[in-house]
Amino acid sequence: MNSIDIELVSVSKSFGTISVVKDISLQIPKGEFVSILGPSGCGKTTTLNMIAGFNQPSLGDIRIRGRSQGRVPPERRNIGLVFQNYALFPHMTVADNVGFGLRMKGAARSEIESGVASALRSVHLENYGARYPRELSGGQQQRVALARAIAPRPSVLLLDEPLSNLDLKLREAMRLELKELQQQLGMTFVYVTHDQEEAMAMSDRIVVMWQGVIAQQGSPASIYRHPASSFVADFIGKSNILKVVGTSEQEANIDLRLSGSATSLRAKRPQHSQQVRFCCVRPEDIVVLSDSGEADGRDVNRLSGTVRRVVNLGPSLELAVEIDPNVLLTVLARSALSASLPAVGDVVALSIAPDDVQVLPE
Amino acid sequence: MNWLLSVLFRLMLTGVLAFITLPIAVVIAASFSPTSAVTFRPWEWTARWYGDLFSDRWLLPFVLSVKIAVTVSIVSGIIGVMAAYAVVYEKIRGSEVLMSVLLSPLSVPQIVKGVAIVLFLSLVGLQSFLGTPALIAAHIVLALPFVVRMVATSIANFDRNLDRAGQILGASKRQRVQHILLPAIRPGVLSGMTFAFIISFNNIPLSVFLVRPGDTTLPITVINYLEYSLDPVMAAVNVASMIFILAVIYLFEKVGGFSAQLYGGSK
Repeated sequence: MNSIDIELVSVSKSFGTISVVKDISLQIPKGEFVSILGPSGCGKTTTLNMIAGFNQPSLGDIRIRGRSQGRVPPERRNIGLVFQNYALFPHMTVADNVGFGLRMKGAARSEIESGVASALRSVHLENYGARYPRELSGGQQQRVALARAIAPRPSVLLLDEPLSNLDLKLREAMRLELKELQQQLGMTFVYVTHDQEEAMAMSDRIVVMWQGVIAQQGSPASIYRHPASSFVADFIGKSNILKVVGTSEQEANIDLRLSGSATSLRAKRPQHSQQVRFCCVRPEDIVVLSDSGEADGRDVNRLSGTVRRVVNLGPSLELAVEIDPNVLLTVLARSALSASLPAVGDVVALSIAPDDVQVLPE
Repeated sequence: MNWLLSVLFRLMLTGVLAFITLPIAVVIAASFSPTSAVTFRPWEWTARWYGDLFSDRWLLPFVLSVKIAVTVSIVSGIIGVMAAYAVVYEKIRGSEVLMSVLLSPLSVPQIVKGVAIVLFLSLVGLQSFLGTPALIAAHIVLALPFVVRMVATSIANFDRNLDRAGQILGASKRQRVQHILLPAIRPGVLSGMTFAFIISFNNIPLSVFLVRPGDTTLPITVINYLEYSLDPVMAAVNVASMIFILAVIYLFEKVGGFSAQLYGGSK
């Protein structure tokens, strides 16, 4: 389980004078679902194309199952790839599409038939073999593309934003299916996406890329709870990112003075000794105190502010609370406190546990 | 105002269509003419002129024309696909120059080409080449630009992600060309080949220099015949070859499905 399927060793890629991927090193263990997540232009697709073999790294080495790929062409890498636009062969039936890989490898007819049947079964399209791709819906075409990629049993499956052309409902259903499929097959999935929700929902590990470098990698939970930079904090989920102008350390804690404000926030003292430039607080970690008199004696940040905006999201309320003219916090409050829903103009008391204030060096 | 424009437009359209189709209608009517002079009397008609077509006088030129046109269509199809592949798909070095060379026959008048070919053949002592071989070669030169253009457009519209998909599924270059590229551009190739067939089958200006007496193509036979007589047989020949061409187009369309250019495999 712990053997490494794919390894990138100091890989860089430039096109002309533009360097798109800068000195990336990455290890992807066998059987993991890894997402490469980042905004468009961050180099994630280029990275995927280098793993597939469509692009050669300008510097560095790509190893698949320990073997340096050097000039190994894509057709000999035994990798599957699901394209964003599906790229199904329009002149072939679904069954011929799915069986293409096995056919090209010269598999026996019976082997092709059983491979096609089992691949179609795993994407729930058993009865669609005789159809042509144009006779299918977008979601079905996506499944065929998936079946085609897994039918030759590659050790690694690369997915290039495979769900981005589907509507929201379908996308959410497909997330779960993809994850189940990956676990069933025990295949290594490398999933490229700009959609952080998708990455959070499916991945064992997320690699956040930004401007050609890896900004952070780790489990979805650790990236969400402990973003390494204000970029990651902002890109993954919603975040209040506040600029810090000064700090003073207090035993296990650190007090952060916020830019342009008299307010200061107490946070857990970080392990590293880097200068603190920003801090971030997730909207759902800010507690709206229903009664300003409430005090539970814990060491918490207490703030009060005026509600400037209320958005009802159904299960929760999103509030914009102005602490002072330079600090506007987004707060996610459960609608359960419906007894007294805050309204615009109300003054509310907030509390934030120091554990929930993340200090960021950049 | 608008209705006036619309009426004018319709009138013009009708006029253009009439200009194209009426002569054909006249030829069709003439081919059923009851007397050996070309007349138009729709209440009195005969199909006997069509019987005359099944004589060696017309059948032999027809067979020769078909043989040449089929050869031209196949050979220019093969050369055209290879040339367009090299120029548009692989973008080999000097591909732009190669493309203009391939398209250059378009800019030389056919009469000039015909004279040039005859002069060239006699200059290098290959007069024996005149007749069918010269006709085939000359028609290929003439048809090639059309085939290359058609195939080049198909290849330019080919979604290269399909090739990548084939590649990552383990298909070699040869397998990808055979199983992915060629089926995808098939409608373009077949419509190019249809053009080549028709260009060859109907050609007069070039063929007139290259045929050998007594062994002429159908259009040349028609021209020769017209010098001495204008009769309903003539009209029947034209109607028959028109029907033949339509049948050929229909056949190619059946096989290639031009109408399914985008998606291929219309069945």
